[in-house]
Amino acid sequence: MSSYTRTSRKRPLSFYLLGGLTALFLVYVYAPMVCLYILSFQGPEGGMSFPMVGWSTHWFRTLFSGEGQGLGDVPNAFQRSIRLAACTAVLTLVISVTAGLAYRRRFPGSGLVFYAAIASMVLPGIFVGFGIALMFNLLGWQVSWFTSGIGAQLTWTLPFGLLIMFIVLGRFRSSYEEAAIDLGASASQRFRWVILPIILPGVIGIAMAGLTSSYEETARTSLNVGTGNTMPMEVMGLLNAASTPVLFAIGTLTTLISFSLIILSLVVMTHLARRRSMRTNA
Amino acid sequence: MTKSDLPAAKAPRRDARGISRRGLLKSGAAAAAASAFPAPMLWAQNIKDITITHLGQSYSTIPEIEAKANEELGFKVDMQTAPDPTTHVNRLLTQPKTIDVTDMPNTNLKYFTGRGVLMPVNVSDYKYWDKTLSLFVNGTYPDGTEASKQGMAPIKAQYWTDETAQDYSPTPTDHLVGVPLYFNADTLGIRPDLIGRPIESWAELLNPEFSGRVALQDGVSIGVADAAMALEATGEITYGDKGNMTREEIDKTIEVLTALKREGHFRSFWTNFDQSVQLMASGEVLLQSMWSPAVTEVRTRGIDCKYNGMKEGYRGWYIMMSAMNHLEGLQRDCAIEYMNWMNSGWAGAFISRQGFYNSVPENVMPFMSENEWGYWYDGKPASEDILNPYGKVMEKAGVSRDGGSIWERMGNIGIWNTVMDEDRYLVRRWQDFIAA
Amino acid sequence: MLSSQTSPSRAAIPPKLASVLQVTPMALVFLLLVIVPLGLIFVVSFLDYNFAQVFPELYLETWVDVLTSDLTLALYLKTFKFLVIVWVITAPLGFAIAYFLAFHLRSTWLRTLLVTAIAIPFWTSGPIRMVSWVPLLGREGVVNQALMGMGITDEPLGWLMYSEFAVLVAYVQMLTMPMIATALNSMAKIPPSVIQAAQDAGASEWQIVRDLIFPLVRPGLAIGTIIVTTAIMGDVVMVKFMGGSQVNTVGMSIITDLNAFMYPPAAAKSILLLVVVLSIVISLLRFADIRKELRS
Repeated sequence: MSSYTRTSRKRPLSFYLLGGLTALFLVYVYAPMVCLYILSFQGPEGGMSFPMVGWSTHWFRTLFSGEGQGLGDVPNAFQRSIRLAACTAVLTLVISVTAGLAYRRRFPGSGLVFYAAIASMVLPGIFVGFGIALMFNLLGWQVSWFTSGIGAQLTWTLPFGLLIMFIVLGRFRSSYEEAAIDLGASASQRFRWVILPIILPGVIGIAMAGLTSSYEETARTSLNVGTGNTMPMEVMGLLNAASTPVLFAIGTLTTLISFSLIILSLVVMTHLARRRSMRTNA
Repeated sequence: MTKSDLPAAKAPRRDARGISRRGLLKSGAAAAAASAFPAPMLWAQNIKDITITHLGQSYSTIPEIEAKANEELGFKVDMQTAPDPTTHVNRLLTQPKTIDVTDMPNTNLKYFTGRGVLMPVNVSDYKYWDKTLSLFVNGTYPDGTEASKQGMAPIKAQYWTDETAQDYSPTPTDHLVGVPLYFNADTLGIRPDLIGRPIESWAELLNPEFSGRVALQDGVSIGVADAAMALEATGEITYGDKGNMTREEIDKTIEVLTALKREGHFRSFWTNFDQSVQLMASGEVLLQSMWSPAVTEVRTRGIDCKYNGMKEGYRGWYIMMSAMNHLEGLQRDCAIEYMNWMNSGWAGAFISRQGFYNSVPENVMPFMSENEWGYWYDGKPASEDILNPYGKVMEKAGVSRDGGSIWERMGNIGIWNTVMDEDRYLVRRWQDFIAA
Repeated sequence: MLSSQTSPSRAAIPPKLASVLQVTPMALVFLLLVIVPLGLIFVVSFLDYNFAQVFPELYLETWVDVLTSDLTLALYLKTFKFLVIVWVITAPLGFAIAYFLAFHLRSTWLRTLLVTAIAIPFWTSGPIRMVSWVPLLGREGVVNQALMGMGITDEPLGWLMYSEFAVLVAYVQMLTMPMIATALNSMAKIPPSVIQAAQDAGASEWQIVRDLIFPLVRPGLAIGTIIVTTAIMGDVVMVKFMGGSQVNTVGMSIITDLNAFMYPPAAAKSILLLVVVLSIVISLLRFADIRKELRS
């Protein structure tokens, strides 16, 4: 895809301009993040802003020991969030991919589902959350993380999943699939061997988006997870009770964990790509 | 979401529930014995599988207190932190059965009239009612004078009229809305190093000298109360009851505040503890309404921050612990036992070290050192360093508490945190103010 | 996962029915958890209320106020202002960065690394990410220190934080990413041979961008725009924190009502918001129908 610069020997001026712009953008995105990373190593007497009062790993230790001012239940909240995010991501993936495939054809109700997705993104989260909790209450059902909790999160992740599928399938060359049909491939064969490999990066994107937005969501989730806080709820609680760099320690750790996750998924993707190319070569 | 959809008014409580409870624990003396002596064998056996879920906000759901409760009571206590005040109330209203006890500011109680969500606590079930400060029992100070009733004074929602728990009684009955936990008198946080002169009146909050360097707490229940203190102090507006304004008073208040906002008088409206600390510690603001532990937090960073009383008085607030109406049998007994435990001294002392007062000071005293008691409750200079509950030095020896002793501070309440009768109108006008 | 798992013949299930079956799980989730609550919200907006209670009595004042008050007008003007400014910045910026990543970078490895770098900050919890602006933009923050250190200003600039400027800074930081992602995805699908052909025909880089790439990226940008629009129109967290609760937008106003447990006005405002955003999206789809793109 980067072929047309490859042919020219000299870099055009636009390369340097756009490269500079990208670099500036990265500085802009990371400036507060870097403050956060640095401040998480604040000394025990330091606060949530500069100057640094010594350097230490005090706030990481506070976080792991679970003792200290305003520090609730971070390890458990983290566990709950991960469990919730994993389930939500898998469901988002399956439901969005199937629904996205449906949109390759005209069908009755397609507009309805699409605009329901947009409505789901637009309605204020805490109102959707309140509505779901109220509905459960009216029906006499108990809210719990694996029913209303996952459900409430799906109202947030599915619209994104559907939009990503639109991007992934846009201009998907149906000639590939038609060729497969001509060769007598069954529907499941076509999905497995033709469609899936092409949309795979997008599918992983949906899973990642599902994971991230689930991990971040509070407005819809807070009334519907039942007992026990999720991570962002815990963080909001912390902000209400204390003002210590523990929060920044959480931020630094989150970055480290997400970085590892991304590296991991990249390794998996490279591995898959290699396997596929080996198979085609064979 | 109609009246009947939300956890609605239930029929009067069934008698059977009360009887089964009495059969087990009550019989007067046995209840007292349960805490004074090791609990009877039968009780200990039966309660070990019981879990009491306590929903609160991060200022009260403190892991150390949870651990201590689990150590001392034979049943499990599970503290849940609501991320914000709105979620807290919404959870109580939409899913009361997932919660056993809760603690909340008494300003929330307007949302619970006629809802049947909260369980009345019989005065005889609460062990320390006769030791509780008269401020809560009948709305008077220890010297017998009546405390301020501007705003949501504790006595306005301390008793249910009867056991159906539908409405509050202004005079004592046998049915408590909840057990008073802690309370305090709030005032302005001040940066004396940047102001350079004493601040003694709420009027200073509106002084053009500090334009762009003052902050209010966001929202109508506290922000407006603080603004009203200031507006009355400048003489700009005279209120009948600034804790319960009329529509005309609300209009006037919003008008003046809007003009100030347009001039850029307010730096920010803060919504959480952390923001208030940041604003003050960074010098963004010189003067703002603040909570006591937030002032302490600023001070532990080596930044000078005063919290002295104003001549017009303090803004008081009060937190109460209530049980939920679905409780039955042993679960109910344990919930009441837990509420009793909260005021038996240890937890009260823990909270007092953050700068709040407990409603049963008599019980707290044995759990604090003489130095601590003298500093926090009596307003005496500290004889040695004062530590916060986590062992960090927060005040050096020789310093005494801003504003003095408990009654010097609590005895001078100008207004209580409030939810006004005209709340609907106020919220609507507050929107105009923020949009201006 | 496709229509007919068992039968190898394509005719076993009519294509339309297959699509309907495929979309059913998503439709069910939306029906149960969005449409039904939306119905509740609609009903509530016509009812009388006080102190967290809603009474089953018709009360039209809420709608009269929402549809006729100066407040509503002010809220929408402020929110649209944010939307327009943010879109005007993020759309070209997202396009430019995506273009750089897609066509200028030669190493796939470097491209992946940069995309990852752009995405990582968004894995940190929203509230923490917001708090981290304070040490940067606050009165005693890094930027003010630097400006004063360089002698550009004499005293700290107050408007860097807790202001409309701060809200915009946070929006642009947050919402350029979806623009980059959607544009990049569309660009990745452009066959190199097409561009090669244009180059061989003597087209300049600018001509290729304008006449070849931009039209093909339009659906991607449309989706990015939908995400930006819904994010800003529905935002409460960023505007509240970065604006120091002094900036009122449509979303803020709904939250203020909900925080005071006044459900009917919040309901009416939510429904109006929904109508407005859906109209924006519908007109956007006239410009680039992303659904039509899928059908060959």
